[in-house]
Amino acid sequence: MERGYWIRSKPLYDSLVWKQQATGHVVVAQGEGGIAVLKLFQQMCPREPIKLLFADEDSAARKYADIIQTLVPEGLQICESEQAVLAALREQLPDCLMGTQFYVAGSEAFIWAVMDELKVYGVQDINVEKELSGTLARSVYCVHCKTTDKNVHHSIHQCSGCGRHLFVRDHFSRRLGAYMGVMVDAEEPGNIPAAEEIYP
Amino acid sequence: MNMAKNIAFKQETFRDDYTYSNSAEAIRRFPFPFAEDEYMYSVNIEQHDGGAPGSVFEHAIDIDEHYVAECEDRRITLEKDPGRYIALPHMKDAQWDMVELIMDSLSTDYPDLFQLSKDGDNWHWINKPLNIDQKFVFGDESTLPMEPFEYVGRQVQGDWVVMDQRDDDLFADMGIITSQADWSLAFDAGMSFKEWHGPVPQANELGIFDRALKYLLHLQYGSPVRRLNWTMTVNPRLDTSPEEYPLWGPDNVSVTADNVGQKVHLRVELQALFRLPRSNAMAFSIRGYLASIDDLKTYPRWAKRLRRVLTNLHPDLSEYKGLDNYRQLVIDYLAPMDDGADLGLGTHPE
Repeated sequence: MERGYWIRSKPLYDSLVWKQQATGHVVVAQGEGGIAVLKLFQQMCPREPIKLLFADEDSAARKYADIIQTLVPEGLQICESEQAVLAALREQLPDCLMGTQFYVAGSEAFIWAVMDELKVYGVQDINVEKELSGTLARSVYCVHCKTTDKNVHHSIHQCSGCGRHLFVRDHFSRRLGAYMGVMVDAEEPGNIPAAEEIYP
Repeated sequence: MNMAKNIAFKQETFRDDYTYSNSAEAIRRFPFPFAEDEYMYSVNIEQHDGGAPGSVFEHAIDIDEHYVAECEDRRITLEKDPGRYIALPHMKDAQWDMVELIMDSLSTDYPDLFQLSKDGDNWHWINKPLNIDQKFVFGDESTLPMEPFEYVGRQVQGDWVVMDQRDDDLFADMGIITSQADWSLAFDAGMSFKEWHGPVPQANELGIFDRALKYLLHLQYGSPVRRLNWTMTVNPRLDTSPEEYPLWGPDNVSVTADNVGQKVHLRVELQALFRLPRSNAMAFSIRGYLASIDDLKTYPRWAKRLRRVLTNLHPDLSEYKGLDNYRQLVIDYLAPMDDGADLGLGTHPE
């Protein structure tokens, strides 16, 4: 592997914890992010209004919507899909007050899709709590043809846009919500290392 | 007083047949970066307030014999990939700041080549080497053929990143980048200072970026600063971008004991930082100078120094700079010139 050092652009994801001193709280989660939501609601809830948008993942073995419904009395909106969660968020954002605190949990692609929505309203990255849940799958941006592929699980990924085999670097762009993929056999064409599943 | 500048601009290429070459004078003024036999990252920032006449530090923006050819190479790269120019929408004021910085500097320092007259906001710009004669209204984008920063960025050597300052950080929100040492503007646009430098090894451990950022946040208008950085490139190629890596990657394994002197180039970046007055943004210019190992070898002091620096280089830096394929070849090539004499401190050629 090429790196003996830590690349700082790789986001750090933490466990969700309620933030003090907010005018309101908006929790957005998907799939395995459900467990992060349940952990969050085991903490003492803040007094300010809370909104929760959640969608289970169809393919997942474990579903959380029912448990969440019994634990979260108000402000809850269960959606049909990840896309529906994003649409609901988009609808509600104009009514959010300055000082609203955001919490996001789910796959990395979902987290940055939510950030894309929040960015429109000037919400800063640093003011959003994020918990990565369920999968380490990456979105990969091909630096050569500019295609972004989602749900990449392997160290080497064949780009769906240009067909090149890409090495997935730890360098992450928040604007693109993706890791950089660079042609792995540019120096010696055809010399492609075996792809290993390292982002299960 | 400004001396009349007589620069003979070269017709040359930085791709395909690579006809790029340095005159004896260009080699003599090459900003050789190694003052000692060992190299490690440091902040190494100094005031950019002029330097010795004829040196690359003399003016805020250096124009040399490669100006016309470099502008042409930039045009070719932008035509192939317009994404090498990016300006996020909130950078409008900074765009005009850049027009002012570049036009003021060039017309003041090289009056025989560039002329600028201002009648209020009505500006008249003449760029003789590129045969440009443009009247426009400062602040009115519709009076220029393209966005102001792209317009002026195409008329200057070196890459430019313009960083927005907010929340005690600097964000790479605008740039014109066609001669980069393997980093991507399209990917890095919008990143904070530390994210952008994320892939650089060792420097984080040394606290370089914390200190550099702290320093830069306080940079004042009218007091630009500079530093040198370096890497090596096979062939005098300006566009060693990750985008084009499939094109130049094979060159990295093409170096042999026979061609190392001509093929391998030391690539020195004169990096300068300017605070911009309207936007409070910061312009970061990355001006590259290329000299082949044979060019450098004309000065034995430089040959010895370079050999020692490469011999002592930290393996992480060698890998990050992409030197692993040919570093030893350069060391071996220069070995016969190194008598082991103490070179003392300093970057001077003789």
